[in-house]
Amino acid sequence: MPELDDELMERYQKGDENAFTLLVRRHQQPLINFIARFINDKDSAEDLAQETFIRIFKAANRYKSEGAHFKTWMYHIASNLCKNELRNRGRRDRYRVDNVVNTGSDSDGDTEQVDLIASAPANSDFQPEVALERKELRNAIQKAIAELPEQYRLPLVLRDLQGLSYDEISEVLELRSGTTKSRINRARLMLKEKLKPFI
Amino acid sequence: MNCLQAEEHFSAHLEDTLDYQTLQGFEEHIAECEACQHEYARFQESVKAVQELPQIEPSPYFMSTLQQRLATEQRQPRGVKEIAVTGWRRLLDTLRRPKWAFSGMVALILAAAGTYFYQEGPLFNRDSHQVSVAPTSQRQQIVPLPEMFPSAQQPRRLVGDNSQLQQRSVRSTPAQPMHQRYMLKQVSYTNVSTSGGL
Repeated sequence: MPELDDELMERYQKGDENAFTLLVRRHQQPLINFIARFINDKDSAEDLAQETFIRIFKAANRYKSEGAHFKTWMYHIASNLCKNELRNRGRRDRYRVDNVVNTGSDSDGDTEQVDLIASAPANSDFQPEVALERKELRNAIQKAIAELPEQYRLPLVLRDLQGLSYDEISEVLELRSGTTKSRINRARLMLKEKLKPFI
Repeated sequence: MNCLQAEEHFSAHLEDTLDYQTLQGFEEHIAECEACQHEYARFQESVKAVQELPQIEPSPYFMSTLQQRLATEQRQPRGVKEIAVTGWRRLLDTLRRPKWAFSGMVALILAAAGTYFYQEGPLFNRDSHQVSVAPTSQRQQIVPLPEMFPSAQQPRRLVGDNSQLQQRSVRSTPAQPMHQRYMLKQVSYTNVSTSGGL
């Protein structure tokens, strides 16, 4: 049976560095996904995910398992870093075109074609038009998520893409449960309107 | 239930968390209202589409880059600010413990009481033979070493005038180290008089 995150943190606090490596391996993929979807930038997502793990590494001695869960603590740190990044980015340049996730821009056209071929299943049911439509829909969804106000986008990503419970999201965002639920519902309604041309 | 109220319960109905009464009201409204039926169907579809977005995978270099960054972090000496912040946090953590908080409070009260009694002086002025305590400025005097002044008159003249003495001494013997130039003389109760009631 795999060890719980809190147990791994305790082991790391006692000097077992492998426990920290195990934690990183376990959470790197969901964390990168969360950051990339939230800030809409895949390259910066890796950087911010690493920064999150470094913060955890440095603050590990202060971590108390009875105070908060590792996962919510990690997402809390990551979301604060993302907010800072977006704030700084807003000051520097409002839009970045090069690294956005699933933009569907012209510059990405070749890559998308390659992706479609690479992801094509081996059976004869594969229809390029359907795959293209699906790709377009994904791009539209990512764009719609990126356009949501931050206070709605964050709980939506945590709920629908990361699969956190309402209680966990409330813990990450330090909100009351009712506020979290209402924000997620509001975010989904906004998204439904934005995706009207596609759904 | 009207359309706006029904819309507020879309997520709760989708996740099956509505209480029985609200569930009945919601389903009655949806059954009657065609617009809400349509909107709710689109709502469900869009949520499903978001949830089906593919996961973004880390690059193959993620772990090695992270390990390099962690190694760099470990090698870097901690900044003064970080040390101060950590120290302050540790102190606060310690003081938050009830035992330490209580001890600290007792120590503070004792210190306050001691200061009060010392200033009031009820313990030290019991009789008229008591040595009067001179102010701090007079008790601590800088006395130059004899070899600095060949004449016997000079040291006496300068005693009690610290600023003058400092200026002259520094100018006259710049090569001598500080501890040779000055000697701090502490005038205490014992070397003034021991005839008091202490």
